[in-house]
Amino acid sequence: MAESICRVLRDGALEGEHAPALTIKDSIASPFGFHVFSHVLSQLSSFLFAGKSQSRGLVIVSFSRSPSFYLELLKSKGIDVVSSDKRIQILDCYSDPLGWKDRLIEAGSFTALSHESSVSSTAIVFKNVKYMDKLYNSIIELGRGLVGGGRNRFSVAIDSVDEMLRHASISSVASLLSNLRSHDQVSSVFWLLHSDLHEDRVTSVLEYLSSMVASLEPLHEPANGQRGDLEKFSLIEHNAKKGKFHARFKRRNGRVRLMSEEVRIEQSGINFTSLSSEGAVNQGLAPKVQFNLQLSEKELIDRANVVLPFEHQGNGKPIQIYDGRRSLVDSKQERPVAVTEKVQTNEDSGRGEIIYFRDSDDEMPDSDEDPDDDLDI
Amino acid sequence: MVMEDPEAPHHMLLLRNFMAQGLVHNQPLLYASPNRDPRGFLGTLPSPAASKDDKSRQRDPDQEKGLRIAWQYKKYFGENQLNFDGQRDGKHEYSNEFDLRKPLERHFLSGQRVECVSFQDCPNLSALQDHCATFLSQFPRNDGNISCVGRIAIQSICAPQCEYSNMEWDMLSFIRSLKSMVRSSNAVAIVTFPPSLLSPSFCKRWQHMSDTLLSVKAIPDEDKELAQLLTGYQDMVGFLNVHKVARINTQVPLILEATTFSIKLQKRRFLVLECLNQAPVDGSSGASYGTSGSCSGSSKTGNLDF
Repeated sequence: MAESICRVLRDGALEGEHAPALTIKDSIASPFGFHVFSHVLSQLSSFLFAGKSQSRGLVIVSFSRSPSFYLELLKSKGIDVVSSDKRIQILDCYSDPLGWKDRLIEAGSFTALSHESSVSSTAIVFKNVKYMDKLYNSIIELGRGLVGGGRNRFSVAIDSVDEMLRHASISSVASLLSNLRSHDQVSSVFWLLHSDLHEDRVTSVLEYLSSMVASLEPLHEPANGQRGDLEKFSLIEHNAKKGKFHARFKRRNGRVRLMSEEVRIEQSGINFTSLSSEGAVNQGLAPKVQFNLQLSEKELIDRANVVLPFEHQGNGKPIQIYDGRRSLVDSKQERPVAVTEKVQTNEDSGRGEIIYFRDSDDEMPDSDEDPDDDLDI
Repeated sequence: MVMEDPEAPHHMLLLRNFMAQGLVHNQPLLYASPNRDPRGFLGTLPSPAASKDDKSRQRDPDQEKGLRIAWQYKKYFGENQLNFDGQRDGKHEYSNEFDLRKPLERHFLSGQRVECVSFQDCPNLSALQDHCATFLSQFPRNDGNISCVGRIAIQSICAPQCEYSNMEWDMLSFIRSLKSMVRSSNAVAIVTFPPSLLSPSFCKRWQHMSDTLLSVKAIPDEDKELAQLLTGYQDMVGFLNVHKVARINTQVPLILEATTFSIKLQKRRFLVLECLNQAPVDGSSGASYGTSGSCSGSSKTGNLDF
């Protein structure tokens, strides 16, 4: 399923369509968002270098990690960004997002450190994170620099939308993301979000803007009730390495595809496996009917206990079927049910009986009498 | 007003039909959207389907009800009788059938009749309000006959990329003034919005503002439960719910036979609404809604084709 996500990003946008956009969403209960982001990033990069993706270049907008981190990450996956031809550029919003160093240098109280030469060729420092339009222009510029003009496309990875939201309003961030998606040269966009850092509305907005939402949830929900500390600890430990990974794809035909997997964090990285137990919970949009077509457990048992009015019950013993000729001697009811005709009631009194109340117990059984005989026509 | 589902673009299908229908009948159109280039959307408007002769004339009144829910805009023009069937003829038959695979002919989209407005970069809604006011001034409501009617289509008015999208009172006030402008002119307006992006209290207020309220919903793909429950699941792309129907100048409520419809694309060309039968009420009341008792598909296919 994570592969499906990477494939969608790899295949990119059709002509005249918005670029696919992925939101990776996590929370403190299952904080593996960055692992997933790195995984998607490395997958997309390997597609890129193998020439299998629609995009010819990748721009990484790094807020929460330094550019050298990404270079190392990609190197560990076998992708050497610096030496090979220029396919990846990093817009460094980590080192000096608000341009303080420049101002300090001007004020004379700071001497600039020199960047590593290898990093500076792939990373451009961006100093105006408060201005989303400038950020947008820089991303586009970088991307164009990578792939040239015309119909060539590039992908964009934003490692933390949370940082962007610290500096700018949600509407300007939304505007940037939707402009990226609708730009002719953007093939795909993806970003990471920590949902518990924001109001619900922010998460809804970002989900509205994306065509795929990947969310991470803890495998075992911590209960709110009183639990022993030991139990809590083991839960936390459990959740620390594993989690549930849900994805919602907005498909072109207007339907929504839901998929789930289990995710495990190991030394070598992140691992996706199919859910061990039946996980998919579908609330269902099916119209709710007002009657229950299913039988509950108790009802099933009771039904099995009813003695059917057949001569042969299938267990070898003959059975006397009540045929209306006896009256019930010991009636357990306090007040007899008033009936004008034969009424057969099935009561589940554990065994299943058919209880018949005659009109009056004095009447002789009327086996041969024709009840219409006393009509005076 | 149409409540969008953030996970599916079904409201665009409704908008397309609304806009195409207006243009085919020579009704000027104002289209506003948060995209930079709203004119691009006009290229996706469908062309009227080759009409099956006399089909639209022979519809019996029962089925008219379904059409009346959303598509007979004439009743918004002040004549509030339910059986207002006059003036259906004209140069074009008033048809609800459009072929999504065939784009609308260019001559329908010529400048005079279509105005496109983008509100993405507007700091507030006053510019859009002015546009609407100017547009609607072409259709003043006189006591005389209706010479010309107009249509306004506003898509995703509270889209998050607009600066004013967190100014909820302002947006509400815009809707209110649009409503009053439309009431006093010979025009109708469709406004779509994603309710999940509004705070709950404002969502309710917006819903109250509407005369007719619809909502569209996406359906999950490859859902075995739904596939068993609904026939024709394979062709369905979503659901349409009718929450409210305009009742202007009357106290008589409209009880609909069905409020949930499935949206299907037949042969990927025709948008079809089929009513999903409501759940039967408990047996004691006797009456059951809908025409058949099962939960399966429908009995009204073909008549709500549009």
